[in-house]
Amino acid sequence: MSSLQHMGKSTLRVVKNYTKGYSDVQSKVRDATSNDPWGPSGTQMNELAQMTYNQNDFVEIMEMLDKRLNDKGKNWRHVFKSLTVLDYLLHAGSENVVIYFRDNLYIIKTLKEFQFVDEYGKDQGANVRQKAKDITNLLMDESRLREERRTRASMRDRLSRGGNPD
Amino acid sequence: FPTRPVDRDKAETELSLNIKKATSPEETAPKQKHVRKCIVYTWDYHSSVSIWTGLRVQPILSDEVQTFKALIMVHKILQEGHPVTLKEGQNQTGWLETCARTVGNDGQRGYGQLIRTYVSFILSKLRFHRHRPEFNGLFEYEEYISLKNIDDPNEGYETISDLMNLQDQIDSFQKLIFAHFRNSNNNECRISSLVPLVKESYNIYRFITSMLRALFRRTGDAEALEPLKQRYNSQHYALRKFYYECSNLKYLTGLINVPKLGQDPPNLTDNGAAPELP
Repeated sequence: MSSLQHMGKSTLRVVKNYTKGYSDVQSKVRDATSNDPWGPSGTQMNELAQMTYNQNDFVEIMEMLDKRLNDKGKNWRHVFKSLTVLDYLLHAGSENVVIYFRDNLYIIKTLKEFQFVDEYGKDQGANVRQKAKDITNLLMDESRLREERRTRASMRDRLSRGGNPD
Repeated sequence: FPTRPVDRDKAETELSLNIKKATSPEETAPKQKHVRKCIVYTWDYHSSVSIWTGLRVQPILSDEVQTFKALIMVHKILQEGHPVTLKEGQNQTGWLETCARTVGNDGQRGYGQLIRTYVSFILSKLRFHRHRPEFNGLFEYEEYISLKNIDDPNEGYETISDLMNLQDQIDSFQKLIFAHFRNSNNNECRISSLVPLVKESYNIYRFITSMLRALFRRTGDAEALEPLKQRYNSQHYALRKFYYECSNLKYLTGLINVPKLGQDPPNLTDNGAAPELP
């Protein structure tokens, strides 16, 4: 695909964000989980993770992720990237993300059989299936998730205190 | 009640469309996206009533492929739907029996025997779950342990032999499915019925392995347990063969990871954990 086409797509997304009346927060989720062939950036995911600590933003993020996770096969990138973002949020976002997706685990679990074969006969569903499996296992393993969240938090702590030994 | 952003009216309308599309007359697998919508529906609303009603109003019984696809769908929804689905499924035995009765002796496209065997398997499954509501539809070990909170061998013997009966039924059903493959056309529809069988048989296998180990540990009475051990071993070899044959079906391995069992059955007197998930 040419970069011009992607430029066209991202322009279209900006227009949609505006005409459909998506909020700032929702547009951020839409950008991070778009159909562009590259993954969501660390900066994007980190920003979303921080926003989950605000209750209103949290609700909006969950709403948009839910939409993206339930998208159709042709938009497998929406689904795949939403899982990528979710994985990040489970590690670095607020506890509410964990609670919400434990409650709604079946949304993820049922993606373990996601199917999509593209026009070249390539099985694009495989990525989604693997990621859905990984996240399901993580959500079902309370102690592992705790541990990984703790490690992530202390790492972030150390990095942010880096140049400032108080 | 769902914490997800949903709209019930819309969900109901979509549901009947999903049921219709999942059980279309094309001789293919029931599309997973439609089956998934049904499963998600049961979790959103803690009910499967609309699904059973939907199945009754669709004209599926006049066509053997549609009937077979409906059974695959029912099996998957019983496995992965909200637990209430297993309870509400208990009232559907009449409809299931009708499915088995309506199809002609062998059907025009050879689904007759498959349908009757599938129905009798689903009925056994429902009976099992009626007696043992602590198991979820897919026999997931993690959930059982978290529910029971312990790894209690005392209820062991009888549960194990009931699980083994189901396992035997799965085994004869899968053999029948393989025997009904046709050389001339693609077997996608038949193969797709193996997907829930692979999952269910493997989870039952994991279960039996850990329950038997617990029994051996607790009672130490190898002699009393010998018959179960014999049966366990022969089921191990049967499963191993089943998975081996499945691993040669490209369509199937694209959908799920088929487990690979060791050459010999695991040692039951070990303290090993349950076999890993594939």
